[in-house]
Amino acid sequence: MNEAVDHAAVIADTSFRPGTWFGVLGEHAAVFLPPTVKDRVAPLWELVDGGSGFDELLDALIAGGLRSLPGFLILSRGEEAVRVLVRGTPRAVFLTTAGDTVEVDGADTTTWTERTVASVARTTLLLEGHETGWVQESDHHHLVSGGLVRVARVDHPPYLAAPVEADPVEADPVEAAPEPDPAPETVGEPEPDVATAEPFEAPAVAELGADPGNTEVFEPFTPPPSVGQWQPPDSGVPSDHDGQTLGSSWDSDQFARQQPGIPGQPPAPSVTARPVARLHFAHGDVIEVDRAVLVGRAPEARRFTSTDQPRLVTVPSPNQEISSTHLEIRPGSGADHGTAVVTDLGSTNGTVLVLPGLGPESLQPGVAVQLLPGALVDLGDGMTIQVSGA
Amino acid sequence: MVHLNSGAATHVGLVRETNQDAHLAAPPVFVVADGMGGHDGGEVASAIVVEEFTGLARDGFPPAEAVTRVEQVLARAQTRIRAHVAERRGGGNGHYYSGTTAVAALLVADDEGAKWLLVNLGDSRAYKLHADRLDQVSVDHSVVQQLIDAGELTPAAAATHPERHVITRAVGPEGALDADLFMLPLASAERILLCSDGISGMVDDDQIAEILREHADPRDAADRLVRAALAGGGEDNATAVVIDVVGLAESDPPEQTRLEPVSLEEKLGALP
Repeated sequence: MNEAVDHAAVIADTSFRPGTWFGVLGEHAAVFLPPTVKDRVAPLWELVDGGSGFDELLDALIAGGLRSLPGFLILSRGEEAVRVLVRGTPRAVFLTTAGDTVEVDGADTTTWTERTVASVARTTLLLEGHETGWVQESDHHHLVSGGLVRVARVDHPPYLAAPVEADPVEADPVEAAPEPDPAPETVGEPEPDVATAEPFEAPAVAELGADPGNTEVFEPFTPPPSVGQWQPPDSGVPSDHDGQTLGSSWDSDQFARQQPGIPGQPPAPSVTARPVARLHFAHGDVIEVDRAVLVGRAPEARRFTSTDQPRLVTVPSPNQEISSTHLEIRPGSGADHGTAVVTDLGSTNGTVLVLPGLGPESLQPGVAVQLLPGALVDLGDGMTIQVSGA
Repeated sequence: MVHLNSGAATHVGLVRETNQDAHLAAPPVFVVADGMGGHDGGEVASAIVVEEFTGLARDGFPPAEAVTRVEQVLARAQTRIRAHVAERRGGGNGHYYSGTTAVAALLVADDEGAKWLLVNLGDSRAYKLHADRLDQVSVDHSVVQQLIDAGELTPAAAATHPERHVITRAVGPEGALDADLFMLPLASAERILLCSDGISGMVDDDQIAEILREHADPRDAADRLVRAALAGGGEDNATAVVIDVVGLAESDPPEQTRLEPVSLEEKLGALP
């Protein structure tokens, strides 16, 4: 198929206009991220540069959590179709060989919009929103041959100074002279033969070919086959004949849980090297706080991992006044680093905290309060916990 | 001394051609695995996970090492799945995939008494029934669950979301085995349900609760759950394992009539 494709020559037919968005352009796929998520760019570059496809990139983005990702755009090109997924403000505009314009944006969706567009002659990606500042700078387009760039707009084939009828959002005529052309023989081609000059053709067909029609199915990821080795799916689509439960690709740590805590503050260590406090229970137990300690009449631990297994302390409650999982005491983070913090877990009868020198205070459910040495925690039913330094 | 009564039922469903679910009810170990992958990929992976847990049930495990042993079981399952996938891919099927969810319940008796250790990877579920009240213990590792957590999707909308079957963790040929673990005192979970999404996707929680309350025999309850999944459309393989704790020494007096909230999130209104 495309074994002899010259890598450098095919990639250089994309142009970009500088901006604030991060563009991660690879051989198989490209990802665009807003300037606010700089920390996510480097890992994605490794994936893209390593030849990852559409699904793998999407997985990596999802793994980091969608809430902190207001927008992104993933694009991959196949022999016959372009697959694009947009969340938030970015917009992708395609001109098909039949002359139709297809626009894809993430507006009006809670998650993202995904489309597969066939027979694409021209692709324009508008990342920073169409109203901000790209018109007056529209003469500053640079060629790119893959890599990590800060972009506002991306065109394939490269943007030309000549009016581009494929770009419906191009409101003002572009007056400036074209950019000095570092690769004239590539750029000077006003109507490149997309079908043969497609840079992502051979590798991306693996992803696209596996799932041409049904954009909601994640095909289990397969490492990109070496070029020319691709065979049509031999089990039809979807190849998953269970069909209902779908795996996708995942790498080590891709779906590592996010650390709890306050953004910008050091995450709470789940297990500290040394105990930060010692708890003296009224019924005689003495427990050190080097990890989360859950206290109650019949405490439950939920959603922990093998490395942050909490300690469960069952306390007697003859009158059932203490809740089954009443409160949590754990090593504090941020301003509370080095001390223990107590949180009432929504107990029925509440928890009273007496800090040294202060009057009794009822804990608000779900709000962590620092425990200084000398503090006394009262769970009711005669059960108290005296806190001492470790 | 506690005793465990259990019942299990599984059905291919009304749409699928094969049943890729597998399950185990071998006290003190109970498992449901929902396989995925083309050809026999799903069946192979779910069967491997169940086989490895069977070994754990047969050989037993020291209570203090329960978590470590579970990790070893999952790691061995992954190694076998990886070898299987490599073999098939090497045999010419370059896109062969095999993976599975896993939800397991292990009775662990340590100094403090007997507890349930629950393990979850994927979107199969563990529920508990306590004082006639159903509570979903596991949290799905799925894209829609992430969106729900982020406040971008309501659980009702999730039921029909196009990505609702996309899971974010599983036992597959590669990737971290980042299982969620749960520790529940037996006294707060008289009945445990493990099920594949062929049950939970077809039967809503209210109906699951009703079936679990109405059928005292765990075998009947499992059977009824699978039937309800078929009646609800049977779009996927449906598997249910129901476990009852019997003979539990009542060191505590029975629950007071006032029910306490199941979780902080619920009390604070974060959950519906």
